[in-house]
Amino acid sequence: MSALSAEEIEKIVAEALTGDRAAESRMLAALRPGVLAVLRFGAFHRWIDQEDLTQETLHIVVERVRARTIDDPRKVFAFAAATARNLALNAARKMLRQQTVVDSDLVDELAQNLEMEQSELPDSDDRHLAQAVSELLEELPTERDRQMLIRFYLDGIDKQQLCRDLGLSPKHFDRVLMRARSRLRTIIERRAPHLALFPRVISILLPVAMSFTFWVRHFGSW
Amino acid sequence: MKSLEHNSFEEQTKLVPRYVAGDLSRSERAEFEAWLVSSPELAFEVEMERRLRRGIASAARRGWIKRQAPVDRGRERRWQFAIAASAVLSVGIVLSFAIPSGESVTPGKRLFAAAGEQRVASSRNVRLGSVRGSGGMPDVSVSLTDAPSELVIEPDVVVLTCADGTIELECAGGSAPQTPQYAEYEMDLVKRHGAALSWRSSRQVPVGRTQLSFTLRDPASYDAGDYDLIVRGHSPDHSEVVARFWLRVSAQ
Repeated sequence: MSALSAEEIEKIVAEALTGDRAAESRMLAALRPGVLAVLRFGAFHRWIDQEDLTQETLHIVVERVRARTIDDPRKVFAFAAATARNLALNAARKMLRQQTVVDSDLVDELAQNLEMEQSELPDSDDRHLAQAVSELLEELPTERDRQMLIRFYLDGIDKQQLCRDLGLSPKHFDRVLMRARSRLRTIIERRAPHLALFPRVISILLPVAMSFTFWVRHFGSW
Repeated sequence: MKSLEHNSFEEQTKLVPRYVAGDLSRSERAEFEAWLVSSPELAFEVEMERRLRRGIASAARRGWIKRQAPVDRGRERRWQFAIAASAVLSVGIVLSFAIPSGESVTPGKRLFAAAGEQRVASSRNVRLGSVRGSGGMPDVSVSLTDAPSELVIEPDVVVLTCADGTIELECAGGSAPQTPQYAEYEMDLVKRHGAALSWRSSRQVPVGRTQLSFTLRDPASYDAGDYDLIVRGHSPDHSEVVARFWLRVSAQ
């Protein structure tokens, strides 16, 4: 599935806002990667079940769209992001409250209920990733770009300082980072596709399943 | 920050490193996340940024990253290195004539070095998430027949708090928590059968706010069986178990 552009998604959401049920399904599929990203990369990702909250967020969004209380597609994006963040915040608060009184038994209980952070890669995957990044660094056209990435990501030196030290323009800096991410994506997709990106099958199937649920709930049959 | 409609994809991606590093203000973050929802391509950028950070850190840990001295000091260092190398070479040549060839010191040194290399090579690093230990499988397994010389356990268990010590997800002003919940952490190895303490680490302060690393030397010296790896946080007036993991030492 190729990624839709922001304009295409905006158009789909606009159609869903008119009450078009087919567009609603497409909207769920289109919004899902972004909502999942907010939950996966936001401040609370360690403490939440991201898949679960993505589904819950989309559920709330679709109900709001059906209620016609939002009229602008861009407000739907902002609403979805805020909803995802609030749900994550609540889930994380709950989780942290539990953890402050943690004991051995409770740790066991939490471990059963909490999905582990997805970024906790198994060692073999971590190795694949390290190899991919090493390959990327080797491929860079200049030693300066290589040192820029290493010092930025490893030493935590900020952009302004690095640009001064290495004689780079901020534009060049941004371009190197963007190309590095793009190239890494290609290398990962070739070397370890399972590490690539969001589970794409899920991003198709889940919204379909959700649409089915909504449809049955509202109309009593499919 | 400009509004959604006026930002090109390129402008949005400039904020990706700051978003992943948690450096955006609350309002910037809210707007960025609205873009994220509307743009799977931006979500891919964020995903790759995270992978890039993690991959570089992992490659560095494995010693796969070649670092270069800063350009302005490189030439000076190369000269220093050349002078030092010449001096060492000269001494080496003189000694090679002075020391008889059957000397036993050299093989001994080689043996020692080989053993040292082996020890380093057989060290094993294990990174563990914040909560584990209740699934059907141990978090860490060690076989007595093929045990590493040391087991380096890096648990991700440090909770960050606000400056006043409160556990909040956002501190005053929208900043992220920065202070480790406990000043020091230690790890216990407790054999499940009989609940006997087998080993206790020294206390350590998290490096870079959240990184802990406990080294269990010679795991092969422990009896086969199941153990709890218990991480405990210590403050001057309080201590608490913050995580527990399951280590299995098997005979085969």
